[in-house]
Parts: sequence; C-alpha cells; structure tokens
Amino acid sequence: MRIIIEKLIFSIKLIVIITTILVTSCSNSIVIDSDFPQPVGKIYPITAGLIFNDAFKNFIHHENQDDRDEWTINTGLAQQKMFNVVLDTMFDETVNLTKFPDPIPKNIDILIVPEILEFQFTMPRETSVNIFEVWIKYNVHTYNKQGESIAEWIITAYGKTPTAFLKSEGNALKEAVKIALRDAGATLYSGFYNVPGIQNFIISKQRENSIKKPESLIVDSNPQ
Amino acid sequence: MKYFIVILIILSSGCTTVVIDEYMRSNGKLIDGDSIVILGRRHSSEYETEPDLVDCVGAELNNSSFNVKVIPEKVFVNALYPWFEPRMAPLHLKSLDKLMDIPSVRERMANYGVKYIIWIDGFTETTDSAGSIGCSIGTAGAGCFGFGTWDKESDYEAVVWDFHDKELSGKISADAKGTSYMPAIVVPIPLIARVQKNACKGMAIQLQNFLKPKSTS
Repeated sequence: MRIIIEKLIFSIKLIVIITTILVTSCSNSIVIDSDFPQPVGKIYPITAGLIFNDAFKNFIHHENQDDRDEWTINTGLAQQKMFNVVLDTMFDETVNLTKFPDPIPKNIDILIVPEILEFQFTMPRETSVNIFEVWIKYNVHTYNKQGESIAEWIITAYGKTPTAFLKSEGNALKEAVKIALRDAGATLYSGFYNVPGIQNFIISKQRENSIKKPESLIVDSNPQ
Repeated sequence: MKYFIVILIILSSGCTTVVIDEYMRSNGKLIDGDSIVILGRRHSSEYETEPDLVDCVGAELNNSSFNVKVIPEKVFVNALYPWFEPRMAPLHLKSLDKLMDIPSVRERMANYGVKYIIWIDGFTETTDSAGSIGCSIGTAGAGCFGFGTWDKESDYEAVVWDFHDKELSGKISADAKGTSYMPAIVVPIPLIARVQKNACKGMAIQLQNFLKPKSTS
C-alpha cells in the first residue's frame, strides 16, 4: 500500500513539473543588450542634438498570436546604445537632450530624433529557410536649428542568424536582433549623406562655414 | 578498457565523405608571421554562412606549422565597422579598391598587415531524414525505442583575395556528405556524422597548402 502511495505522489509531481515546463515554454522574454563598435571614416564637422524619447528608450515588442508563442523583446537599451555610438562618431560633437528644446541652443546645427516604426521577426519553422530573421524599421527625424524638418529618413534594418545545435530560440533571436541593429547603424553611418534633404543641409552648412568637403562625402558610401 | 573506448569512439561517429576542389591563379606568398583574415559571406537571403564554420577554419589554420596570424572574424569586422557588415561588404575586388579610398579604413587595414582576405560562402543542411524514435515515461521508469537516420550536406567555397596585389588568388570548394544514425534501445545512442567539421578540416588543410606551399615554409 505504501509503495502504491509513493508511486502516486511521484506521478503527481511528474505531471506538475511537465505541466509547468509546457506552460512556461509558451511565453518567452528577451532583453537585448550589446556593445556596438565605433564606425571608421570621416567625421561630419557639425554639432548634433540627439533626442531619444521614452517610447524609443523603453521600446518593447510584445506579440501574442494564436499561431506562435508569446514573445516579449526589449530592444530599448540596445538601440539607444547603437544610435549613441554611431552618431557620436559621425559628428564633431553630439549633445543628448531629454526633449525637443525651445529655443534650440545656438551651438546645435541639427536635431536628430529616431523613432521605431515597426519590428518583425520570423522563426525557422515559419519559413522554408533555416534561419531566424528580424526586421526593424526606423524613422529618423531631422530638424535644423530653426526647428524645421530637414528630412524624414526611413531606415530598414535586417538581421539573420542560422539555427545552431543546442542554441535556444531566445539566444538565436537575440543574435538576429543584434545583427539587425548593427545593420541599422551601418545604414545610418553610410547613408546619411545620401538622403537628399540632409545632403542639401550639409552642402549649405559647408558653404556657410567654408569648410572642406569631408572625406566620407567624396567616397561612395556603399562601394558595391 | 582501452579497446572498448576506441571501439566506442569509432562506433559513435557516422561516415562522411569530403571532396575538395581547387582553382589556383597564383601561388601563395605567405611567410612566417604574416596575417590573414577569414570572413563569412552573409549577403544571401536564403542561407547564412555559419560563424562556427568560419571560426573552425580559423582555428585549424592557427597552428604552429602554418605560423601565420589569423585575425578573428569578429575582431576584424568590428575594427572596420561598418564596411564589412553583410549589407556593405565588398563583393568584388574593385569594391575593395574603392573602399581603400577612405584613408582611415586604409590605415586600419595597414595596421593589421592583412595579406590575404579569405571569403567563405556556403552552408550545411539536413537533406533527408527517416525513421522514428518513441520515448515514454512512467512510474516504472523511462525509455526510448526506435531508429532514426538523417543525411547532411555541406557546400562551401573559399575565395582568396590577395590584398596586397588586389587580385583573385584562387578558389577552394569543399563538398561533404554524411549520414548520422540514432538507434534507441532504452537509451538513444547517437552516431553523428561530423559533416561540417570535416568540411572545415578539409578546407583548412587545402588553404594551408595553397597559401603557404611547403617549399616556402
């Protein structure tokens, strides 16, 4: 009798453990934190004011659909770091501002306000390819010192990572997000001068300061 | 006991065949102490050259008989950010030449003293699988029964760029195939064919002979 009771208790414990594992495996949460390298190239001789609003700083993508697991992906800190590192290197000087200044300080030439528009991801079982994929769409708002819009620059970033033996879905997705953020940084750095509004702004700024054309403007930013 | 372990090791790996092809345009000119970098191509939307494979080739080449400095992919790509990111990496030697117009990039490359850039493109995939294994757990214990098998194929190409002379030095391709087995009688026993690892080893040996022919080492 005692043996039967012990076996029953063991079976109940096993069921509870398996149920807990099954329930928690449907809900996933990841926080992206990564360091980003400084871009190599010439610096634009301008001072930029950077505004990271709360929605950008604390961005969390949450998805709970019937056909896939529940995912919570926090990219706020990582994307803030990426924009800071890239823009810090791109310009002579950057000033971090908490809100849109009124009036705009005299030393600031351009105001940059990034906004995240869309975040999407796919898992290998959802596509025919054996990779995790992430897309992030940003709108980089730029304003001159009068507070007028220079350009609304849409950046689409893409990151992918192969499935690897014994690598969890969370870790693989984290890797794909980091690659997407690096891709966003690459476009931000190399494509800045190619945005018509920004190009006109820099040319007029050059005329204004009678400065020499920076090296990065001479070189094709994407040498394909 | 020793014999048992040896037999176990032999049994615990599936069979793999590797075919290496080589196309040489010029002889390797590496001498002791030179630097090379091995990078993975990541521009295709359908597959991704695995970072593990790139690391593996680098690790295989990082040996005392080769005596050449292999710059880790991550270190190199970070040091030249963003110019070797998947979206921006030069696909042709002409593009690399253009990239060298940027003085700070040129300077950094010179600091590394890179003599050869090796691009690896390809992937490993499971091409076929068959069989089934069932596992059950109960109060009396747990166990698995069945048999599973799967085939894997690796297809990689290494393109060697001579950074000093700005020319294509050659190409090496590695095709590997292997079948893994997993019989399960209470406990599953995996007999894994190390397809990617063998492709990596084959490619590394060929690269070593190509970049630094024995007469110059």
